[in-house]
Amino acid sequence: MSVIRLNNRFYQKLRSCRYSSTVTRLEEEYTSTPNYPPILDLSPEKKRERMKDESYDQIKAVKTVEEKQIKLNMPKYYGFKSYMLLENKCGYNMLPMTQHATRTHLVVNKGLPDYYKEFNVDELANKLKSEVEEALSIEIDGYQRLHDLTNEALEKEDLEDIVSSSLIKRINRIIMNELSLDLQDTQVDIEPRIEASWNVGGIVPPSSVVNSRKGVPWLKDRIDEPTDRVMVYKGVPILTLRSKLPLKSVIPLSESENPDLDVPVFDCDPRTIGTTTEYRHMTNIPGFWPGDPHTFGLLSYHKRGYMHLRKDRYNDLNDDQEAIHRQGILTAFGWLMAQAHYLGFNTFNDLTYPLVTQTVVTNGKTWSFYTYQMNTTMLCERFFKSNPRRNICWATDQMDLFEDIADGKLIGFNDEVLKNLLKFYLNRPESPLGINLTPYLSNEEKLCSDYEDDHKRKWLEDMFKFLMSNRPRHKLVYEIYAWEKIYKIDNKTRFMDKRLRPFELFQHPYQRRLDETCPRYIPKKFREDVKRVKGGSYRFEKTYYP
Amino acid sequence: MSTRWYPIYQKGNPQLRVFLPNFWMKLVRPVIKQPPNVVQFSCSMEMTKHDIKNYLEKIYNVKCVDVRTRIHMPKTRLEPTFGYVIKDDDVKYAYVTLPKGEEFQFPDLFELDQTKKDEEANQEKALKQSQESYDKFLEKNKERENMPGWFSV
Repeated sequence: MSVIRLNNRFYQKLRSCRYSSTVTRLEEEYTSTPNYPPILDLSPEKKRERMKDESYDQIKAVKTVEEKQIKLNMPKYYGFKSYMLLENKCGYNMLPMTQHATRTHLVVNKGLPDYYKEFNVDELANKLKSEVEEALSIEIDGYQRLHDLTNEALEKEDLEDIVSSSLIKRINRIIMNELSLDLQDTQVDIEPRIEASWNVGGIVPPSSVVNSRKGVPWLKDRIDEPTDRVMVYKGVPILTLRSKLPLKSVIPLSESENPDLDVPVFDCDPRTIGTTTEYRHMTNIPGFWPGDPHTFGLLSYHKRGYMHLRKDRYNDLNDDQEAIHRQGILTAFGWLMAQAHYLGFNTFNDLTYPLVTQTVVTNGKTWSFYTYQMNTTMLCERFFKSNPRRNICWATDQMDLFEDIADGKLIGFNDEVLKNLLKFYLNRPESPLGINLTPYLSNEEKLCSDYEDDHKRKWLEDMFKFLMSNRPRHKLVYEIYAWEKIYKIDNKTRFMDKRLRPFELFQHPYQRRLDETCPRYIPKKFREDVKRVKGGSYRFEKTYYP
Repeated sequence: MSTRWYPIYQKGNPQLRVFLPNFWMKLVRPVIKQPPNVVQFSCSMEMTKHDIKNYLEKIYNVKCVDVRTRIHMPKTRLEPTFGYVIKDDDVKYAYVTLPKGEEFQFPDLFELDQTKKDEEANQEKALKQSQESYDKFLEKNKERENMPGWFSV
């Protein structure tokens, strides 16, 4: 048998060798000033950093929003091990961990920051007061709901959430009607699905990483070096408002580098305070699909029914207040992070301009207001120390909108809360002059729907939607049975057995890459040009992994 | 629930003023770094989260905000003579969260003073050096079997 038949690559090598003998002319070899290659630090850590930077630049160079999301997910077929930061589940003392994971400096004031001073809402508040009062008394105490009639046994947290969501929809409608001219260009989403994923560094490595480092001679000094963790935010607001233009920033981007804006360090594994993990694809969904022109969030309302559960378990008022701050920070950061992904930024490529959003956490009676400015998304371990920017959250303490309801009348209505809310609505987005809002997206193709090729467009769309759905794979990751762990892995008692299982064949399913899969088979009938040659890739569908 | 039952009172019996369940808790050094207000215990398998909380609050007057437990399966090993697999008993670990601001550091029970530590370190160093020089000597002479040590170039 010839060498070419035995080894396919040999023929390719031979082909590439054809031109090797071409003589380059002497003049081309010399330039007037010597061109030296850059001098690189060849230490293992610097090499690793360069390798990482290269992969981050590859993500930056990807053209469209959808492809960027697929690119982020390329390393893992079965998803990343992710720490779940859920909106409505908060353990004890979770604020420092959340601040660390979002790198947020928290400013707590009695009222809103000076940013809102320019808005005079006294007249508007007086005008809307009676309508809001009526909405409150009707929604909270005015009529029987479906669960009252069916005698459904709902928990008190669910009851509160039902009331607060219908109330907020009503209050939003009242304000939108009044400000219809100002809010013409605003989209309202009711209970949108919001998810965000990002990498966080500065956390002590898990024991498996420590053990593996112990075995490598050049890693021995760096056993305790922090590692990246994937954080996932999942939440469902009552209602969100978004627009085509961004809100103006509260402080300029350069001020976010001020080292006085301290952020607590929480370097323990988040599981030590009750966070759970899941294997998931990195999803970033701000409540709409790419291509919607209203990409910038203005305002979101969030429920706080879960506070009842906390009261039963911890019964600590001070920590309850912190839990609400945690929710304000996390929901604002999560939403902005998902928006930032649609603008072409991600956890490896930093924002070029700040993003601002406003958050309200309420149960109808108690209200908390948050203004969040996101200055950086780059929280991964590679830049964790070198990145000086911090995100900032301006928070108010909890305020009661009214004291009580008696005979359908509100007692002790607090105008200040309504004024704060109206100020959030009056804060209108502005056209940012001279800023490219999507610097890391291509100028020609920002979305996969901009591609000419029908097949490519459909393939990318399908893959994107599949990843974002986070449905389990058709073939689940294999299970190591308990008897295998005991008799095959921990104690080698069955060495005569045939080695058939992945752990005996040096296969690691969780390290499988997204594209390590057979493309879809096209039956002969549907092939465009059936070649006579047997074999070859034409039998399978073309893939477009970025 | 404790396996020891509170004796049911029969009329005429002497009344017990003290009831001792067979519960125990042992403070252990955490393997994974914990926040300063989280303490790890191993405890009796029968104890529930409520039992742990009551145990610490009623007996030791330690306020605990939250208790999380897990059951740890120890590693299995082979019996040296007959080669069958042995597993030790499972252990229940409790992670107790203290109120914010409280700190707990696991005590260094066998604390050595600095001079003793230095002495030990010196001894170890000397032992290591002599071992190294002996290894070197062996390495040098491994291809010169049956030659006297002084025979060298």
